[in-house]
Amino acid sequence: MTVKDQADHPQNAENETIEIAGLTRRDLMQRASLFGLAAAFGGFGAGMPAFAADFDMKKYAGTKISLLMTGDENDHRVLAELMPQFVEETGMELEVTSPALGPLIEKTLQNLKAERSSFDLINYLGFLTTQQVGGGYYDQLNSYIEDPAKTPADWDFPDIIPAALKNVGIFDMANGAVGEGSDIFGIPGVHSGSVIYFYRKDLFEAAGLQPAKTWDEFKAAAEKLHTGDVAGCSFIGANDFSLATVDWYTRFITTGGVLMTGSPKEKNFKPQVNSPEGINALQMLIDVLPYAPANVTKYGFAENVDGFSTGKIAQMIFWATIAGPVLNPENSMVAETTGTTPVPSGDGKSPRAIQGGWGIGIPKNSDPAKKDAAWLALTWITSKAVNRYSIEKYNIDANRTSAFTDPELVAKFPYLKDSLKAIETADIIPTSRIPEFFQLNDIMNVEFNAALIGQQDAKTACDKVQTQWEDLLRKAGHLA
Amino acid sequence: MEQGRERVTMSHASNPAQPTFVFGKRDEPGRAIWFLLGPCLLYLVVFSIYPLFHSLRLSLTDLTAATGTGNFVGLDNYRALLVDPLFWNAAKNSAIMVFFSVAIQLVLGVALALFFNLHLRGSWIVRGILLLPMLMTPIIVGVMWRALLNPDWGLVNWAIKSVGLTPPDWLGSVGMSMVTLILVDCWQWTPFVFIIVFARLQALSQDVFEAAQVDGAGPLVTFRRITLPMLMPAIVFAGVFRAVDAFRSFDLIYGLSYGGPARSTTTLSFFSFQNGFQFQNYGYAAAVAYMMLLILALGTTLMLKFVQIRPGASR
Repeated sequence: MTVKDQADHPQNAENETIEIAGLTRRDLMQRASLFGLAAAFGGFGAGMPAFAADFDMKKYAGTKISLLMTGDENDHRVLAELMPQFVEETGMELEVTSPALGPLIEKTLQNLKAERSSFDLINYLGFLTTQQVGGGYYDQLNSYIEDPAKTPADWDFPDIIPAALKNVGIFDMANGAVGEGSDIFGIPGVHSGSVIYFYRKDLFEAAGLQPAKTWDEFKAAAEKLHTGDVAGCSFIGANDFSLATVDWYTRFITTGGVLMTGSPKEKNFKPQVNSPEGINALQMLIDVLPYAPANVTKYGFAENVDGFSTGKIAQMIFWATIAGPVLNPENSMVAETTGTTPVPSGDGKSPRAIQGGWGIGIPKNSDPAKKDAAWLALTWITSKAVNRYSIEKYNIDANRTSAFTDPELVAKFPYLKDSLKAIETADIIPTSRIPEFFQLNDIMNVEFNAALIGQQDAKTACDKVQTQWEDLLRKAGHLA
Repeated sequence: MEQGRERVTMSHASNPAQPTFVFGKRDEPGRAIWFLLGPCLLYLVVFSIYPLFHSLRLSLTDLTAATGTGNFVGLDNYRALLVDPLFWNAAKNSAIMVFFSVAIQLVLGVALALFFNLHLRGSWIVRGILLLPMLMTPIIVGVMWRALLNPDWGLVNWAIKSVGLTPPDWLGSVGMSMVTLILVDCWQWTPFVFIIVFARLQALSQDVFEAAQVDGAGPLVTFRRITLPMLMPAIVFAGVFRAVDAFRSFDLIYGLSYGGPARSTTTLSFFSFQNGFQFQNYGYAAAVAYMMLLILALGTTLMLKFVQIRPGASR
């Protein structure tokens, strides 16, 4: 399976990996010569140690690679802890700069637009793929991926979850479309992730309830399970990035909502926030307020994870990569009694949520003499071993199918199977196609939070968002 | 001074064998001045004057992260600001915060200064403790108070509940969040006003107070007619300084309320931050910053013009 194959038929990637595992070495060589060596070898990484051994991991020993990455999550901790291993295996030095998201974006843009980037590798948020990759700032990676002299055989490209690759790696420059075509500009890393449903198995069983499959069931369970000690449900109710992108958007798209129609290029990119589905999605949140923690309108990531971990919340939908620790006995009082499933949905609709995650690319303006070394470092950072460590140590949603299906890890963290499914079926939020994404998101969070604290009703909030979005889109030239 | 200078010059002229100074002759200080002031001027040009003009230029462009290159748009950003309800909301919040914060801090600061001027036993210990908040970084103060006021496990709510009262929704309601912001700002900066006023109080001549006492003036009259007018320069200084500081306060808001809920604590500086660093609308953010500069310049000038700054004199 080649890069192009995976890009064109992402849904087949996992099957293909398994299927080619039955090929003979001769089949493999024929296939590799036809379609590209690296990907084919990748599927055989574990079973073909000879190929891996042929690759000199220390060919760039002594080179110093500079990586700019997020410091908001645990990804940088993973790399810091594995640094001695990196040095030992590659002989290279990896210098990591990891600011918070705001300064990261600022620093990234400064570097991408400079004559020479100070960083050999840059980590970017999936929601910024259009801004940064679409801006033409990163090297195309197909030639690296397909070159066995540059890519370790056991890197196993097809093992990367296709949906994660589409979100941050694949970009059609001609049409400005993320996830389309077969040109690859970034590799998912260090983590991806979408949203899953967390519930307390013990409470549900005691109440004779099944985990909610629909939003009506979610509300009914919240009502039934709500007590003075345990909130029937929770959500991100604060003026926070994830109020709109997780709690509202999941309800919106799983009840038939379509956020945007048209396209920015055609200047008819029109929001549908105040559609019946949009208003209903917000109303659903308002309706479960009586069964949520008293202060849910101030709850962001930490409050929800803390509340659930200490047994004060019966159910919630959440980023799997952030709430993963509630299933870790070292961090949670309810690890043994917490279950997960895909998110609830409307009648007859499939469960799905927003696609999150990060990509890593090689800036076009980075030092040309170090590009091959940077690529090798990138393959190491996105390797199976690092993926596995990320999950095991920090419950980070990694990017490789093998990490999510590792029997040992799955036995330890059963949520991984739901997490994988969530990533595979997740939706790339259409507003991330334009650079005004964060501003649009902020408007929505402010107005929705105001509705939750009783300042306005759901319809007024959605109407206000609709008006402000349209104004902003017109000003930015995405809507005539 | 002129006489002294003349004397040196003459002395130097009368003795040609006198060694020259390190930076040149004392009567020809030209080179020395540039050598001494040079680093300072360079610092000012690089870190103050250039950024000032650069940001002015930026405010006249439509530079965003998306466009990358800013086109000159004249005063468009300023025109857009004037019709932007979010800008006016932020301006209103800034005005509320500055007015109430500074007013409360001045009243409390003066009261504390007067109290500690009584020199009660052990007051130096309390005075030292009182100054601690001022030494903390505002963002730490914000985060710390956010934790203290946490509705679920915060110490403040626990204390209020433990005496049977219902704590207010400190940071969760539109009405209360600005009050909380002002209270926290006062907690941190009242000591600043106190120390300025207290220092002035310590420096006042006791003769005046003794004379007032002899003339039979009571404590209130003495305070109103003597103490307060004599403290006025310190109060005005502290007031102007605090007003400027509160007006551009950003880190406290970032740590405490993040401008919310429903933009009820979004001040102009936070609004500028959001536009610049969250939305990457650099041109617009620079225009907000320049509007702030304009407001500050006007406000400070007016304050200094109309407020009595010298004892017994009106400016």
